[in-house]
Amino acid sequence: MLDKKSVQAIILQALSNINDERGADEQIQICLDMRLFGTDAVLDSLSLVSVIVDVEAAISDVSGRDISLTDDRAMSQAVSPFAGVSTLTDYILLLLSEAA
Amino acid sequence: MTEVGAYAGKLALVTGSRRGVGRVIAEHFLHYGGRVVGFARGEATITHPKYAHFQVDVGDPAAVQKGFAELRKITDAVHILVNNAAVLTSQYAMIMPPAAAQAMLSTNLMGPFMVSREASKMMRKAKWGRIINIGSMAASLEPIGDSMYAACKAGLTTLTNVMAKELAPLNITCNTLAVSAIKTDMLAQLPQDKIAQVIASLPIPRFAEPDDILNVLDFLASERSSYITAQTIYLGGVN
Repeated sequence: MLDKKSVQAIILQALSNINDERGADEQIQICLDMRLFGTDAVLDSLSLVSVIVDVEAAISDVSGRDISLTDDRAMSQAVSPFAGVSTLTDYILLLLSEAA
Repeated sequence: MTEVGAYAGKLALVTGSRRGVGRVIAEHFLHYGGRVVGFARGEATITHPKYAHFQVDVGDPAAVQKGFAELRKITDAVHILVNNAAVLTSQYAMIMPPAAAQAMLSTNLMGPFMVSREASKMMRKAKWGRIINIGSMAASLEPIGDSMYAACKAGLTTLTNVMAKELAPLNITCNTLAVSAIKTDMLAQLPQDKIAQVIASLPIPRFAEPDDILNVLDFLASERSSYITAQTIYLGGVN
């Protein structure tokens, strides 16, 4: 099963993919405590969608498990999985632990 | 006239590729150098070295996702998507079997949504894509007996237009090609007097020919239409 570091690496790679598609003056600062969604978030909605799609695909490729990060359960979490990289990591690990 | 090799290097996904309009479109792409992947419930009816067939019921979301998982094993790119698969039961609403209505909703509306959802993820990487949804004159003419079919096709236009907005930043266009009556197995299910009446009411009162569809399809699938999205093109003068 994927560990925390591997999941974080997948998320950071998805964020890096966003930068690949942006100009030099539009680059986002990628770090583990960055906010993905909400008031201080640096991603626009389409970029967040791209990150979600890339993360879901990468998790599926690496673990062989299909997860949904945008179903009702994700949206009803007390702390949004998309608050930041760490919350998203935790939520993915939770889903993977249940799927296993 | 379509240029020789117009679709070379392009992969087109066509749903409902076994027969009717879908088969005509799939064979057209193949003839002009494209690779084609067909999604349909039944077995392949097209044999061509550049054609791959997947038995997928587009009305079943899980089947669509499974189909795309298989598709990604043979390609990482879909350039053109033609959502053509559709089912039709024509009947007064009061006696329309609910299962038949549900089947139309699943195949004709949920199907294009799911296939577009997955295909656009693949198009996103290439920052280029063409989604062409096959609509129907029924959405505009609203014929008796076609309450659910016409509603699905009207819904398909709205689906197309919203997705066009969502996907425009990714250089993916979404348009509806709303066909008029063309001689297919689907049309043969309908009463001939009803068809004749509809044809007679059209500004251009004749059946559509394959070329009528392919001419517009070629435009919508090409680079020439890069500034055209969220549009519905009706054939035969319907509006």
